Amino acid sequence: MEKARVDLPPKGGFSFDLCRRNEMLTKKGLQLPGFRKTGTTIVGLIFEDGVILGADTRATEGPIVADKNCEKIHYMAPNIYCCGAGTAADTEAVTDMVSSQLQLHRYATRRESRVITALTLLKSHLFSYQGHVSAALVLGGVDITGPHLHTVYPHGSTDTLPFATMGSGSLAAMAVFESKYKEGLTREDGIQLVGEAICSGIFNDLGSGSNVDVCVITKGKTDYLRNHQLPNPRTYISSRGYSFDRGHTEVLSTKITPLKLKAEVVENDAMEE
Amino acid sequence: MGDSQYSFSLTTFSPSGKLVQIEHALMAVGSGQTSLGIKAANGVVIATEKKLPSILVDEASVQKIQLMTPNIGVVYSGMGPDSRVLVRKSRKQAQQYYRLYKETIPVTQLVRETATVMQEFTQSGGVRPFGVSLLIAGFDDSGPQLYQVDPSGSYFSWKASAMGKNVSNAKTFLEKRYTEDMELDDAVHTALLTLKEGFEGQISSKNIEIGLISTDRKFRVLTPAEIDDYLAEVE
Repeated sequence: MEKARVDLPPKGGFSFDLCRRNEMLTKKGLQLPGFRKTGTTIVGLIFEDGVILGADTRATEGPIVADKNCEKIHYMAPNIYCCGAGTAADTEAVTDMVSSQLQLHRYATRRESRVITALTLLKSHLFSYQGHVSAALVLGGVDITGPHLHTVYPHGSTDTLPFATMGSGSLAAMAVFESKYKEGLTREDGIQLVGEAICSGIFNDLGSGSNVDVCVITKGKTDYLRNHQLPNPRTYISSRGYSFDRGHTEVLSTKITPLKLKAEVVENDAMEE
Repeated sequence: MGDSQYSFSLTTFSPSGKLVQIEHALMAVGSGQTSLGIKAANGVVIATEKKLPSILVDEASVQKIQLMTPNIGVVYSGMGPDSRVLVRKSRKQAQQYYRLYKETIPVTQLVRETATVMQEFTQSGGVRPFGVSLLIAGFDDSGPQLYQVDPSGSYFSWKASAMGKNVSNAKTFLEKRYTEDMELDDAVHTALLTLKEGFEGQISSKNIEIGLISTDRKFRVLTPAEIDDYLAEVE
């Protein structure tokens, strides 16, 4: 019996099938749809007891603020969190996927997840998509081997650092870190420094704004301080209402159309008793 | 499933309308170590014998009761390796459910998916049915639940059930002892007494395993020290 050609299941990774057709379309003038970017400031640093991650909360769609208070610090494992910059959908999807894989791995091994495991899963996935998954991440956590902090770039390269920043506000935040970071910071000093770095990004970068989220990870305990600082409080519309007097608005033109009264006289039968 | 030369199912009907392979799978379950489960008013407990083939086996490395999700646990009777495969598939399905719906999988859904897998293996090419019956214990928004899934893929919700070698004695014992408003601690005591009924040799924390889940919705396997405490209460 002749064996028919077996269709292998897709192995994942970027599929180059449509590249030639896409190139042809862009040459003809087609504009590819844009994505919502997080235009972000995300930071991480290692302090005496563990790792502190920080992020701003503005999500932009070009020049418009799409979400004034989004969550950029994603859960990976009880002891590992990941900040995401780049395309919001990509960072969400990739962190959810790796978080799921880590959970399965924890069941199989009956051990706490290691940061290096999360790192390797992320970088292999991003590399196989050749940079098309636009996710720039700051991954931090504390495991059995100690505290770790890494940055992951969209093409799949990684760095291991004592302090790191990513996103459009990374230069503003890095300026703060470079001048004030030292080894063995205490928890209060660490949170203070992270807050300062994110605020630097919020005030000096258009793509970052709104509030500061902080996540402190130590051995055995994680504190997710959502909206730790709110340096941009919203001033709400006056509850007394507004008065719009005549003369406040300039009249450009006037057109008056009288409504004609239309009355119909109908011959009625006399009303019955 | 199965390579092209075995695209026909190995499980075929007998003239009387039975699937003999499934009957045989149930025999494999029936000769496995006894396990049982009891649903209490505020939780579920599952327990099993853990008789190892020799005293040289490192008993701390063997764990028969496994977690499928933080709030669902499972125990089996029958072939251990078959249960490992099922537990692995179920864990993956639970994760996929979460990624799709962003909701932790309800117990009934997980049971249904596991049962579907077991049924598929009775109707696919080149594979045999699983030689295990599973007792799935969980606690979700619908409260505490206990399900038994058989090699055929059929599943039932039970208030209390037993499987394996000592099934008939155990079930009779449970029928007499079970009450609707049992608390979880009473259920653990009852489970221990039921296991003791048909136990060959001396029961101890080294040759049984107990897993339970209560209103905190976290399934956990008891440590040998905790089992010793419960055994002392039962004596």
